[in-house]
Amino acid sequence: MSLMIWEQCLDLLKDELTVQQFNTWIFPLYSKEQDDILVLQAPNHFICDWIYQHFYSRIKEVVLQISNGKFVNVIIEVGTRRDGEGLPTNITSHATSMPHSSNHSTSKEIPYFQSNLNSTFTFDNFVEGKSNQLALAAAKQVGLEPGGINNPLLIYGGVGLGKTHLMHAVGNMILRQNPHAKVLYLHSERFVAEMVKALQTNRMNDFKMFYRQVDALLIDDIQFFAGKDRSQEEFFHTFNALLEGKQQIILTCDRYPKEINGLEERLKSRFGWGLTVAVEPPELETRVAILMSKAEQTRIEIPYEVAFFIGKRIRSNVRELEGALKRIVANANFTGQPVTMDFVKESLKDLLTLQDKLVTIENIIKTVAEYYKIKVSDIMSQRRSRSVARPRQMAMALAKELTNHSLPEIGEAFGGKDHTTVLHACRKIKEMIETTIDIAEDYKNLLRILTT
Amino acid sequence: MTLSNAEQLVLSGMRLKDDATFRNFFAGKNGLVVNFLQNYEMHSLDGFVYLWGKQNSGRTHLLHAVCLHAKEVGKTAIYLPMETLIQFDPSVFDGAENFDWICLDDVHLMAKQPLWELALFHLYNRLQAKGLRLLMTAESAPRELNVTLPDLQSRLTACTIFQLHSLTDQEKCEALVLRAEMRGMQMPQEVSDFLLRRTSRNLSDLFDVLDKLDHASLAAQRRLTVPFVKTVLGI
Repeated sequence: MSLMIWEQCLDLLKDELTVQQFNTWIFPLYSKEQDDILVLQAPNHFICDWIYQHFYSRIKEVVLQISNGKFVNVIIEVGTRRDGEGLPTNITSHATSMPHSSNHSTSKEIPYFQSNLNSTFTFDNFVEGKSNQLALAAAKQVGLEPGGINNPLLIYGGVGLGKTHLMHAVGNMILRQNPHAKVLYLHSERFVAEMVKALQTNRMNDFKMFYRQVDALLIDDIQFFAGKDRSQEEFFHTFNALLEGKQQIILTCDRYPKEINGLEERLKSRFGWGLTVAVEPPELETRVAILMSKAEQTRIEIPYEVAFFIGKRIRSNVRELEGALKRIVANANFTGQPVTMDFVKESLKDLLTLQDKLVTIENIIKTVAEYYKIKVSDIMSQRRSRSVARPRQMAMALAKELTNHSLPEIGEAFGGKDHTTVLHACRKIKEMIETTIDIAEDYKNLLRILTT
Repeated sequence: MTLSNAEQLVLSGMRLKDDATFRNFFAGKNGLVVNFLQNYEMHSLDGFVYLWGKQNSGRTHLLHAVCLHAKEVGKTAIYLPMETLIQFDPSVFDGAENFDWICLDDVHLMAKQPLWELALFHLYNRLQAKGLRLLMTAESAPRELNVTLPDLQSRLTACTIFQLHSLTDQEKCEALVLRAEMRGMQMPQEVSDFLLRRTSRNLSDLFDVLDKLDHASLAAQRRLTVPFVKTVLGI
C-alpha cells in the first residue's frame, strides 16, 4: 500500500523537480508505513538531512494529498530497503562482517559461516610468469599447508599485479581441501570500519572473538592501516592470537612493509616472521598469456598476434589489460565482427592514442634526466663522460622500446645523433640489463615511471 | 484580457518536461555506448563502467537515463553528482552499496583530493565485493585524470571505458529536430540550421532555446518558422 502511494508521489515529484534533484535525493528513498506515518529511508545521514532541509515540507504535502489524508506525517530516517522489507542485512550469515547481535558475545563458535571468497580467483586461471612465479609457488604452498611454516604469507607489489587474485586462490584452495574451513577475506578498510563500529556499540568482545575464530584471515592492502593506531593495536593482538593458534594469515601490501610510514615497528617485524614475496609487473609474454587467458574466460577468440599487439601497447598493469579486453568485447558484441588486428586498433583507438601521447621521446628524455639528476641539455649534448653517456643510452633504449619512432628519428630527437649511435645504445643497455643489477633496476624503474 | 486555453496550459505548468532518457538522446557516434547502457543489466562482466568526454557530450544525460532504466528493469539506483557533493565530505557515499547501480557524475572533480580519492577507492572495493555496479563519468580518460592514489587509478583503468564523442553541427541539428519531435513539435530543417548559425552551438543552450520556442509556439499557437523564431529570440 505505502509502496503504491509512494510510487504516485514519485510521479508527482518527478515533474516538479529537476532530473538531478529527483535522481539524487528522491528516487533512492525507500518507503514503509507505520500506522499513519510514512517512513522514508535514505542511505545515509547526509542525504537524510539534505531532504529535511530542502524537500521535506513538499514531500509531506504530496504524501498527505496522494494518500487522501491517510499519512498525516512523514519521517525520513537512515535505512535501506532491505531493512524495510525485513531482508537479511544481519551479516551473521555472511563472512564479510562480524556478528550483528550482542547475544553472540558468549558464544564460542561462529554460528554459520559462509566464505566471501571470490570463487573465480583460482590458481588454475592465474597466469604464471617470471614476474610472479615465486609468489605463486609460495601461495600454493600455503594453500596446501595452511598454518604451516609460511605463516604469515605477505604478498607485496604494485597495483593491479594479481596480489588479490593470489590471496583468494589460496583461500579457495584451503576451502577445497576443507569445505568447513572458515576463510575470511576482507579489505583492511573493512577491518578498521568493523572495529570502529564495535567500539561505538561496545561490542569489542564480539569483534575479537569473530576474527580470532577463523581458520584463515586474508587482509588486503594493509598499507591502509598506516596511521590508524587503534586498529593496528587490535590487529596486532588478532595477529598474535591467530599465529599462536596456527591459523593462517595472508596479507597483501602495495610495498615492502618496512617502507610503510605510520605502521608500528612491532607489526612490521611480525609481518616478516613468515614468508614475504613480491609480485613484479608482468613482462610482455606474461601480459600476452594473461590476455589470452582472460579472453578465453570471456569466451571470446583473440588471435595471438592481436593479444601480442595489445600486450605490447598496454604494459602498466593487469587491470588496464582487463579494461582493454572489456572494451574489445563490448565492441565485438555490438558489431558482431570477429576480433582482428584492425578491429582491435579501432576499438582501442582512444586508449592507444592516449598511450602514444603520453610516451613521447621528449617525455622520456625529461624523465631520464630527472631520474639521474642531470640536465636535459646534457642528454642532448655530445659529451661522452659516463655520467651523461649512460643515461643518454638508457633514454635511447627506452625510446626504442616505448615509441614507434624509427632509429634515425630517435637519433634526431637526441640532438642530431646518428642512427648507429642509437642502435649501439640499445644493444649496450640490453647487454647491461643482463649483467649489471643497478642498470636492470634503473631500466625497470624508468619503464614503470613512464608507463603508469 | 482573457488567457487562451493554450496560454493557461502553459502557465499552469502543463508543458511536457524533458526526461533524460535513451530515447531522446541523440547518439551520433556514440551508438555503441548507448547500446551498451541500454542493456547494462545484461553485461555480466562489465559492472564497472567509465564514460568520459567533453562538457556537453551527454555524460549526465546518460547517467540519468541509466537511473530511469534501472527502475524499468527492477533495479535500484542512485545518482551522485560530484559537482554538488564535492563541497561536503565523503560520508555522502555511506550506504551507497544498498543500491544495485551507483551513478557517479564528474569523478574528475575528486582528483587530487586525497579524502575523496580514498572514499572512491573504498566505495569501488565495497561494490566489487558485493557484485554491485558503478557507472562513472569524467571529462578525461582514467590515465589522464591526475589521480594521486595509484590503487584508485588502476581500478579506474579496469573499467569498461568509453569515450563520448561530441556531436557535429549537423548532428546537433538532428538532435534538435529529434528533441522537438519528442515534444510534439515539427522543426523544419531551415529552423534548426538557423538556430545553429545564429545562437549558441552548445547543445544544452540549444535545448534551452528549444524550451523557449516550445513555450512561445504553444502560447501563440504558431508553427516553428524562421521569422517566428527570430521574433521570439529577438534576433
